[in-house]
Amino acid sequence: MSNEESSIFLETSIVSFVSNVDIDEVSSDKTATQIAERISDKKLKLLDLILSLGDYLTSQDLNRRRKALCCLSTVLSKLPDDQLLKNEVSVVLSFYSSKVDDTLIMKETLSGIYSLCGMKYLSISEVSPIFEILKNKYNPSSHLAATRFFAFNILETIFRRFGPKLAEDGELADLFVQTFLHIGNGEKDPRNLLISFRINELISSNWSNVDKFKEDLFDILFCYFPITFRPPKDDPYKISNADLKISLRSAISASPAFAEDAFGNLIDKLTASSPSVKNDTLLTLKACIDKFGGEACLKHWLPLWNSLKFEIMHGNDAGYPDIPVASPVQTSETDNYQLSVNVMRSIANALLKFDEKAFEKFLSHIVEEVKPNFTYEKDLKQTCCLLGSIASATQQTFDRVVALVLPLFFKNSPDLSKLKLEIMNFSFFFDAYIGVFGETNGEQNGVPSNSLSEQKDEILMVLSRALTASPKVEVTVRTLSIIQFTKLIKMKGFLIREEIALIVQYISEAILTDNNKNIYHAGLESLKVIGEIYEDIVFEISLKRMLELLPKDPDGEAQLNGYEPVEKETILKALLDFTNSRHKLVKESVLGLSKKLCQVAPYVNSSEYCFLIISTIHTLLSNNIEIIGESDAVIIKENIEMPLFTAIADDSSLQKDDHNLTLLSNILFFLTIKNPRDTHQNELNRYKKYFVENLQLFVAPSRLVVPFEKLLCGIDKECEFSEVESYFALTMNLLRNEQTVEVQFERLGYLELLTVFTNKWMDEESLLKFTNLDDLSPSNLEMLVWIIKGLVMKNSYQAVLFQEKFVNLLSNLEVGGYVAKLFEVFVVDIITFQKYKGINWNNNVKLTYKQKLFNDVFNRLVNAFRNTSEMNIKSNYLTALSLVSKHISSNLIEPYMDEMLPLLLQSLDMPNSEVKVSALNTLLDTCEKFHELITEHVQSLSRSLLKLISLSSYNSVSVRVLSLKLLETLTQIVPLNYLLPFKEEIIDASVPVLDDKKRIVRKQCVSTRQAYFELGQVPFE
Amino acid sequence: MSEFINETPTVLEDNQLPTRGEDTDGKLLLGTDVTKESLHRTKLLLKIDNSLQSPVLQNVELLSKLLQLNQVPELTTDESDEDMDEITDELGAPADPIDSQEVYDLIAHISDPEHPLTLGQLAVVNLQDIEVHDEGYKDRMAEVIVKITPTITHCSLATLIGLGIRVRLDRALPPRFRITILVKEGSHQSENQVNKQLNDKERVAAACENEQLLGVISKMLSTCK
Repeated sequence: MSNEESSIFLETSIVSFVSNVDIDEVSSDKTATQIAERISDKKLKLLDLILSLGDYLTSQDLNRRRKALCCLSTVLSKLPDDQLLKNEVSVVLSFYSSKVDDTLIMKETLSGIYSLCGMKYLSISEVSPIFEILKNKYNPSSHLAATRFFAFNILETIFRRFGPKLAEDGELADLFVQTFLHIGNGEKDPRNLLISFRINELISSNWSNVDKFKEDLFDILFCYFPITFRPPKDDPYKISNADLKISLRSAISASPAFAEDAFGNLIDKLTASSPSVKNDTLLTLKACIDKFGGEACLKHWLPLWNSLKFEIMHGNDAGYPDIPVASPVQTSETDNYQLSVNVMRSIANALLKFDEKAFEKFLSHIVEEVKPNFTYEKDLKQTCCLLGSIASATQQTFDRVVALVLPLFFKNSPDLSKLKLEIMNFSFFFDAYIGVFGETNGEQNGVPSNSLSEQKDEILMVLSRALTASPKVEVTVRTLSIIQFTKLIKMKGFLIREEIALIVQYISEAILTDNNKNIYHAGLESLKVIGEIYEDIVFEISLKRMLELLPKDPDGEAQLNGYEPVEKETILKALLDFTNSRHKLVKESVLGLSKKLCQVAPYVNSSEYCFLIISTIHTLLSNNIEIIGESDAVIIKENIEMPLFTAIADDSSLQKDDHNLTLLSNILFFLTIKNPRDTHQNELNRYKKYFVENLQLFVAPSRLVVPFEKLLCGIDKECEFSEVESYFALTMNLLRNEQTVEVQFERLGYLELLTVFTNKWMDEESLLKFTNLDDLSPSNLEMLVWIIKGLVMKNSYQAVLFQEKFVNLLSNLEVGGYVAKLFEVFVVDIITFQKYKGINWNNNVKLTYKQKLFNDVFNRLVNAFRNTSEMNIKSNYLTALSLVSKHISSNLIEPYMDEMLPLLLQSLDMPNSEVKVSALNTLLDTCEKFHELITEHVQSLSRSLLKLISLSSYNSVSVRVLSLKLLETLTQIVPLNYLLPFKEEIIDASVPVLDDKKRIVRKQCVSTRQAYFELGQVPFE
Repeated sequence: MSEFINETPTVLEDNQLPTRGEDTDGKLLLGTDVTKESLHRTKLLLKIDNSLQSPVLQNVELLSKLLQLNQVPELTTDESDEDMDEITDELGAPADPIDSQEVYDLIAHISDPEHPLTLGQLAVVNLQDIEVHDEGYKDRMAEVIVKITPTITHCSLATLIGLGIRVRLDRALPPRFRITILVKEGSHQSENQVNKQLNDKERVAAACENEQLLGVISKMLSTCK
């Protein structure tokens, strides 16, 4: 590029820059970048730029001058930092120095100097003039925040580049500090303050000349304390109140040189009444103590303690940390009480590090002062919290504090309230222990001997006295004792195994013998926590003993320690509650309970007791199905299956009782699906042999079809099952002959067996050989329904054909009513046909089968309903529809709501309470979303509901309660003007219901009526 | 006459008020398919696992439902209406009588007009100060007597509180109940006057026509459960 060209380029660029600056920042910036690029490409010289700007720079017009300088400064800021050579920097700098008298263009000047400060070849000799300029020629108070920003930046950059060198040259450092004090004085802009605090911190934490200036440096900080700042809405700098607070705090606590001033001033501020000021002060104090160290504290701990005392002793209204639930002490940033205590801990820590004697003096002073609190039991909690906090600082403080304080406890007074206080206050020292030594991880890990361990026996004695020797009504003391016991166990290396075992025993006994809810839950929680650390101890001491405690004779009574009676239900409930989700405990309980079950079953009147045990096993398995692994399942099955089979086959209360047999069969199902798949073929063959050959299931009806059928549910569907067709035929033969299978329970078992066969092994085509759609006898219909259920669940296309047939049957006057009821079978959830996580090989149940069925039958039912005028038949359609929709979640029904609502309203008049309940439930679930639709029908709806609230046929308790509830809901969703006309009618009509036999109905009636009384009433404010 | 019976009442937490205890029967009755057998089993079950969602419970219900379902169909639908009725009501306990706890539950949650607390919390109404005389026959008169204990003996709001209680009970009790509201002996300076005012039908009726007063009462009753 020739000279001419470049000078033309410069001319135009300058003109463009000058005209755009202040107006279009983007394009002026672009121009500057172009110039800078050319300079760094050596196509231009900076000197040329200055020369070209010459006229502008000397112009009389302020704006021209300013803009020109702005141009130069902007270009400078865009140059690479090694662009200018040493002498160039120096020249440009002196050029800027000549401009500083022109105060109106100070911003551009400072900005230029700032860019120069970043240049690589700025020598330290240039620094001093810059300070001089800032110190003497620049008056911060007469410039805007944006201008002042550059001044701060210049200093910060210089410090970061030349800090150590400045420090070497004491004079320069002094000059720097003086300059800083000058420019920082009176600053108010948050962005600049952040830099100011930062520089202040840099100086005081790095340089030794702080002492000379410490008061000035401190003043320039502390005048802002406590700082508050609310950022404007569209703050471009995104500075928050917390940024400023933290930055100021860290500057104040930067150097021990500030100690004198800082402590004095902060203590003054402690008297502030505003909690947030206090909060800031406490946090700052803590930071200062932690940073300044013991020497500074030595002088100041006494006044600090004196001013914190009040806050600590009276400032807390929070309860004990352990009550009502054992939760760790929370150290929230806003809790001034906790902060004050933490400040004391910091002092202890700092003093101890500095000089042990000083710490001793500090501690004994405080202990002496609070000692009377122990005697008079005044502010004991605060006292112990304070001491506990000091103790938690280090191992040494812990030892000292505990040695001094614990003897103040253990007065062995018989007074329970004193015992309670004592136990509550232990807690702080236990927390301190955990703070110092940590929590146990279950192994025997040693910790250095300490003064608390020396008192272990005393502590254990007090706690066990509280739990075992205090009367049962003293719930608080006993609960506290359980909580503290648990804490002891958590403390690393504190207890030995024998002691833990003893505690577990105490707690288990408390759970079994105490019927207070709080104690029960505290104990349970505690066993769970202990179980996580010492599962084996809990198993040996707690679980095993509980299992042993269960009597074999259903009339027998469990007795704890030979004299205290314990209910069987209590033991089972406890077992259920504390083993939950601990897989070893679950496994052992299942094994133990099954063993017990086989012992109990032979007794004559044992069916209820068996029911309880079976329910417990069932719940254990179904709740924990995911944590039981294959190996567990194998072990459990090996151990319990054969004994259970034997017990079932003996005509025991396991076999005779419907519920027991079903639940037990479910248990076997759970174990089967959890067993490895490769064992299934063998298992299947074994079951076939056992049930079909030995027990002759298909020769004569037997109750034992239920376990067979449930077991088959759990078997892998890929297994070879060649006899399935013949079994299917045999089953149908048995069922067809009503006389042979007359016991309902047996019928149900065989019917479900049909479902299992259809769903898993039967070929769909050959199925047609067995089904006869023309036979309308109830027994045939029943079989068909269960067979179709098997098809429906796998979304088979055959199912649709059958469903169609069944919808048509609804219009049959003779069997329609029965068929309508059977519709529920299609969608009813049977536990052995549900999905279990990770298992999709046991049967063919599609997730969406109910939705599909509803889709398929809905329109058909609605149309058929519309096309008939016969009331009985209409009723059949409605019954079928509501029975199906009862099992389908309401959000799937929503799309059909428009068509559904009229039908629901008619269902309310059906002579069947179950249909009504289903319709009411659907309405309740959906009315909020369809309030407009409901509003349209409010008249007919409210009239129908009023018919349902009184005691009469088919108005069961649930119908009455739900109708009243729906009436109440109407007041929330129907607009006032639509509902007001019915107010009087509803209030009057509900009067007789106030005398309903059932309290639950009356209660709902009262709140429904209240809602209507309030309708349109404006409460007085 | 002892003064200031209830001057500085210990304010009770809401959960410290006397209650009937867990009413599991009520929850059970709302389950749809109940037979005596399964109800009994369910009760047993709740002793060991207090969750209405447990699989065992669902299973027990399911079994009894399916067993019922499979019973030989009754082809006529309109027979034995009375039987059905009796069956439904036979289940669970016989009729629950209206007792003092029920009355207490009705009025204990009324807000005090000048505190943010309820009458039960302030011990203005107490369980032992409620008497119910009811023979249980729907066609005979019955009586409820509620004695209230104002927080200070010259409490000017005693009448308003009484009125609030009366309105609540009028709305919530069957009409065969005669409701008498009294201030507890010795708890108010002008006991007789207040008692007279509270039980004067004319005056109560007149008060209930005052829109503003109704607004105040409506606010007091808004915390009722």
